[in-house]
Amino acid sequence: MAHKRRIGVYVCHCGGNISDHVNVKEVAKTLADEAEVEITRTHLFACSDASQQEMIDEIKERNLDGLVIASCSPKLHLFTFRAMAERAGLNPYQYVHVNIREQCSWAHTGDKVGATEKGIHITRAGVAKCALTNSLTPFRLETQPRVMVIGAGVAGLRAAISLADMGLSVFVIERGNEPGGWAAQVGRMGPDDRYGPDIVANLLEQIRKQENIVLFTNAELTAKTGHIGDFNATVRLHGKEDVSLNVGAFIVTTGFTPYEPRDGEYGWGLPGVVTLKDFRQMLEAAGGGRLTHNGIPVRDVGFIYCVGSRQTQSDTCPEPNTHCSRFCCMATTFSASLLHEFEKKSGQTINQYHLYRDVRTYGRLETVYSKARADGALFLRWDPTEPPRVERCDGRLAIKVKDTLLGNEELEIDADLVVLATGMTPRKNDTLKNVLKVTESKDGFYKEIHIKLRPVETAIDGVFIAGTAQGPKNLAESVASSLAAVAKAGGRLKRGFVDLEPLIAKIDTGKCVWCDECLKACPYGAIERVVCGDKEVAMVIESSCKGEGGCVPVCAQNAIDIEGYRNEQILAMIDASQKELVTA
Amino acid sequence: MTLNTEKRPPLDYDVMIVGAGVAGMEAAASMGDMGYRVLLVEKNASIGGRAILLSKVFPTLDCASCVVTPKMASVSHHPNVQLMTYSEIDGISRKADGSFDVALHRKAAYVDFDACTGCGKCAEICTVTVPDQYNYDLVTRRIAHIPFPQAVPKKSVITRRGEAPCTFTCPGNVKASGYVSLVRAGRYKEAFNLHLENAPLVGSLSRACYAPCESDCTRGEKEGTLHIRGIKRFMADRYYAEHPEPEYGPVENRLDTRVAIVGSGPAGLSAAFYLARQGHQVTIFEAEKEPGGMLRTAIPAYRLPEDVVDRDIKNVTALGVDIKTGYRITSLPELKQQGFNATLIATGASDENGLDIDGHDLEGVMGCMHFLHEVNIGKLPDVKNKIVMVIGGGNSAMDPARAAIRMGAGKVMINYRRGRKEMPAHDWEIEGAADEGVELMLMSAPIRFIGLNGKLVAVECISMELGEPDESGRRRPIPVKGSERVISVDMAILAIGLLPSTAHFPADMKNGKGLLLSDPQTLQTSDPDVFACGDCVTAPTMIINAIAQGRRAAFYMDRHLKGESLNVPFDGVIEKTDKSIVLEEARHFVERQPVQQPMLSIDERRKTFECYEQPMTEAEARQEAQRCMNCGECSQCMECVSVCAPQCIDFAQKPIPLSLNVGTVVMSTGFGILNPATKPLLGYDKFADVISGPQMDRLLAPTRPYNAVLRPSDGKEPESIAFVLCVGSRDHTVCNPLCCRIGCMYSMKQAQLAMGALPMADITIYTIDVRAFGKGYNEFYEQSKSMGIEFVKGKVARIEQLGNGNLALHYEDMLGKGGRNIREHDLVVLTVGFLPNTNALALYKGSELAADDFGYVREIDPISEPTRTNVDGLFVAGTAIGVMDIPDTVLHSGAAAAQAAAYLERMRGR
Repeated sequence: MAHKRRIGVYVCHCGGNISDHVNVKEVAKTLADEAEVEITRTHLFACSDASQQEMIDEIKERNLDGLVIASCSPKLHLFTFRAMAERAGLNPYQYVHVNIREQCSWAHTGDKVGATEKGIHITRAGVAKCALTNSLTPFRLETQPRVMVIGAGVAGLRAAISLADMGLSVFVIERGNEPGGWAAQVGRMGPDDRYGPDIVANLLEQIRKQENIVLFTNAELTAKTGHIGDFNATVRLHGKEDVSLNVGAFIVTTGFTPYEPRDGEYGWGLPGVVTLKDFRQMLEAAGGGRLTHNGIPVRDVGFIYCVGSRQTQSDTCPEPNTHCSRFCCMATTFSASLLHEFEKKSGQTINQYHLYRDVRTYGRLETVYSKARADGALFLRWDPTEPPRVERCDGRLAIKVKDTLLGNEELEIDADLVVLATGMTPRKNDTLKNVLKVTESKDGFYKEIHIKLRPVETAIDGVFIAGTAQGPKNLAESVASSLAAVAKAGGRLKRGFVDLEPLIAKIDTGKCVWCDECLKACPYGAIERVVCGDKEVAMVIESSCKGEGGCVPVCAQNAIDIEGYRNEQILAMIDASQKELVTA
Repeated sequence: MTLNTEKRPPLDYDVMIVGAGVAGMEAAASMGDMGYRVLLVEKNASIGGRAILLSKVFPTLDCASCVVTPKMASVSHHPNVQLMTYSEIDGISRKADGSFDVALHRKAAYVDFDACTGCGKCAEICTVTVPDQYNYDLVTRRIAHIPFPQAVPKKSVITRRGEAPCTFTCPGNVKASGYVSLVRAGRYKEAFNLHLENAPLVGSLSRACYAPCESDCTRGEKEGTLHIRGIKRFMADRYYAEHPEPEYGPVENRLDTRVAIVGSGPAGLSAAFYLARQGHQVTIFEAEKEPGGMLRTAIPAYRLPEDVVDRDIKNVTALGVDIKTGYRITSLPELKQQGFNATLIATGASDENGLDIDGHDLEGVMGCMHFLHEVNIGKLPDVKNKIVMVIGGGNSAMDPARAAIRMGAGKVMINYRRGRKEMPAHDWEIEGAADEGVELMLMSAPIRFIGLNGKLVAVECISMELGEPDESGRRRPIPVKGSERVISVDMAILAIGLLPSTAHFPADMKNGKGLLLSDPQTLQTSDPDVFACGDCVTAPTMIINAIAQGRRAAFYMDRHLKGESLNVPFDGVIEKTDKSIVLEEARHFVERQPVQQPMLSIDERRKTFECYEQPMTEAEARQEAQRCMNCGECSQCMECVSVCAPQCIDFAQKPIPLSLNVGTVVMSTGFGILNPATKPLLGYDKFADVISGPQMDRLLAPTRPYNAVLRPSDGKEPESIAFVLCVGSRDHTVCNPLCCRIGCMYSMKQAQLAMGALPMADITIYTIDVRAFGKGYNEFYEQSKSMGIEFVKGKVARIEQLGNGNLALHYEDMLGKGGRNIREHDLVVLTVGFLPNTNALALYKGSELAADDFGYVREIDPISEPTRTNVDGLFVAGTAIGVMDIPDTVLHSGAAAAQAAAYLERMRGR
């Protein structure tokens, strides 16, 4: 039996987030009776600097060798308190995080007695686990100063330049024939009237000058092994030739897919019903001449907003895009001014009608909307329960819409063109998703770890997401996010090493008889067969193991333990949490 | 721009980040992770910016603390990040080598951060409260304060706007603001003891001080000046009633240095007090039979009773000061021979100017000092039913006139050669005298005293008119020929000026007017061991001036006696508070009329030497003290000093300037919040239950001020809450055409939280468009609707209060029948717009840091070069370019970090 532990238990009020529904004083008081608990205290905000300092002082003063903090989700503060434990001279892995906020306070709002009891049970389990913790050291692995950027749109190209500026080598891989993405195709872009092809050309020019950027087109990532700081990536070129590239991190800037309307949706399929991008190309093609459709000069244009965005579920739309696509209001109102400019230049009179739900020209984009109105665009507001209908009528198009601002009067607008402002949808690429193992948010875009804390990081260490791959953005926002990903990747790679979690599988080679069950269960390919003395056994590839634990229950010999979640710890936690509660 | 890549001295920091809100912290942590040495400068006392003050954050409803404290913790413990809080940038300039020179200073917090433990005791005892900016003025905070519970660093800060005008104006720097705030807090003994630090004769001052403090009181610009002396009178009376004897004795460590003080007036007593406190052995020599000087001999009892003077003097003698009365010093060498190491001359100015006209030696013609002295020692001159003429227009003319009234004079007149306006006496003295029946005979001067049998029977006077101004700026009186007249007078009292009582001192110590010569700073005379102070140096002036001189003399004499340099400043007074700032901030203060000083009736006053000013009651004194506007913020009551265990409070602290050279700069200077009062029709200024969006967030925060969502007006739970969007956004009337970008979302967040806190409340959001555009935002909007939050499309034009206290919102009903509509709510939240932090632009001292059309820092190329400004190497992060939500801020500041890193690498000449 190991020596008796000296554990400190701290219970957090989280302002009132916990203490409104959990009697934190009671939890602390009850835990004080546990055999290995040396001290219990409560804190208003355990995460605050002052509370941390108090705990550090106490840990040192009382020579504690274990620490349990009952507070919020470990997603928020596990690392905060591990770092604090380290500053206090503890091994960070002797710290155990208990979540009494999400699991007690928030799950049992209004049941203070029950929430408090549960808090006591799970904190006891935490103490039992803590009593069996070992001192562990992270694995320090060397990193490669190279990054792969996937997707050569503006966000990806600009990220590559920044990475190179910081002294990292970059491989940019682009699935298509040409780099430049969406911006290369749309011409003039709001809000500052920048010309997309020029932006792309300028970036490519800079990339050509950079020695340490290599751009591959017609290239796809097909396989990936290794870990943050040292991945081996297989890239297939032109669908046939494979190259192997060694990189420390990936930045995924694969962009979006524009929404494709259903047949008949707002007249889609009728001649003269076009997307905004089509319309802009028509306008650009018209130059200083006449804007025509089917040879007839265009007199009236209707714009319909929110096509493929902000959808609700219905029979015709079983998998709605519930999100707002963010960029379309600005792009459409900007187009209004371009059309007005064309009118002035060409002398061709064109009426424009904008059929919207809410005009979401946020922040300074409001100026684009204001200009559109000043330029003569008429705005009509429709309700999603009665969306506009587009029909063919006398060789032209007719839009029937109830304007909610005119007492829901039904208006009929004759138009030569109906422009659908189609939204952004997630780009589907199952190969890439499977190779990178990135997950998706509810809206189908790639999922960040935390939208505010770690917005460009994913669950896979070393794989960063940016631009519209993460969610709809305008071009400036895409680039800002891709540079944020550069900063994070730089933060991981510029030091030359990374420390990896030691909470991974351990195999008792004495017990192991190599049955290959663990190998089959491991999604990370972290098991290898090796010869050990006179027999074959399984070995864990430490840099690949994520401590996921799928191997543990399948091992008939009970030869595998996950450090930090060892069988004896789990059993002790179950026992401790079952202990009866004696209440006064 | 080409960079000079030749060898350069090492940088102090690779990057300086200005502003430690979300953007600054994010950029700092990113740069630190990359291995750069980061300086993160924050002007507030804590990092965390505005986000840490929020309740929860949309759309995930994480609590703000959960999102922000990890960032705060990570930068404060980051090995590569140096935090500098409570510090301001004075200027940033770019050098030819591409690096930046920065001038900045750490502000004076009056707290030693290294020693402060954040225990908060100072805040508990602090006697002054101001609106708490961290709660957007919903509640108050103390002057000594820790910003908020999660503050990093968790240290106290004391805020001072300047010296309070009352304290600043007081010649003795008596901390009027301090004792007023202590009286307000009911701590009378502490108030009295604080007063002793600057002037020991508390009782005398409380009766007879001319109170220059009151003339400079900021409340005087509103309902009327505070009666500070009245408050002091209450405090002194209360203390003396409870403490007939001082609570202290001689100091423990008595020195063997001996000091002689000549004169026991206010200057001498004050000097004695402070010298004895330092341990010196002090002897006062007084020519009169009783100590006190003019306090006793010249001020009539109806202003200053003798027992008050006696008790004041005990404050001095309790320290072991020996007063030898009836002992006139005529020779300074004599004192040296007696073994005194130093001497202070404080003999005052009680010798009188005579009037050299016919009959001045008649019986019945006397000086005012002589007259008052007789009165005060009880040898009451017989004026009953007689006609008394006082000659002179100063305060010293008023005392004998008013005393004569009380002694039953038949008629008392004051004869003054200029007009009423030119009279040097205080107005209230002249009015008091007139009220009591003193007649003013203005523009008139005596030219002859007429006697009968050696006794005065009449005065011949001549009328005067005013000519050209003399050297004092006053118009010179000129006799009017032929206007002579004879007036029957039984007694003439001359109050035409006092002379220094310095006859016994050698001529080489005096100037032509008989005033002693001493250094104005140190009060040392040409003989280093001899100091001189008070009226004998300054000519006659106020009591408090003499007391101030005494304390000053004691300070330098103490140093002289200890062999220390005299080349040090006296009193650490800081700059006077700018009253206009106080008045501006006090626009919403409730009106508080002055407490009327209780007075004896005029009839009673004419009969008695009893003080005509009656003391305020405790309630009156505290009520009057409540009127103090805390001009200086910290009142200097010194209570915090008395409770601070680590003794870390230091009012001598000064700002610490620093100059640094850094490689690159990131400006993450944030944004301002529009004052909702700029939309007057919405009633933010008028109705307590019309609050701003940031205030609503505080009501909902875990560290919320009322620990519940309550209406500010009456503390009731609101039943019907309205959110009025786009207040001052998309609004040309306040010159802000921009959309605030986060108002829709934060209002929906607040609405959802309010529904959780008040399940029975109806919630309505008045909007133009609902701009829910970010990841998960539109879904949040749908969720808000499905929870039962009502959205009304219509702009609210006007808010009025109804008879039941509720609020009527006038709006245009855009989706219904149209037209004007009115709805009633009992709490209204104005979702206010934002403003650029234009201070940011002024920090750069090079050519110019370019702004956009709206005053935000301009990104020169937001698509290809986000975060880059027109100054190469100076980047901008987060809301400094325009308000945005937290996710966008985090991304933008990550971009700034990448850009700054690239710049540094380029500068290093890779």
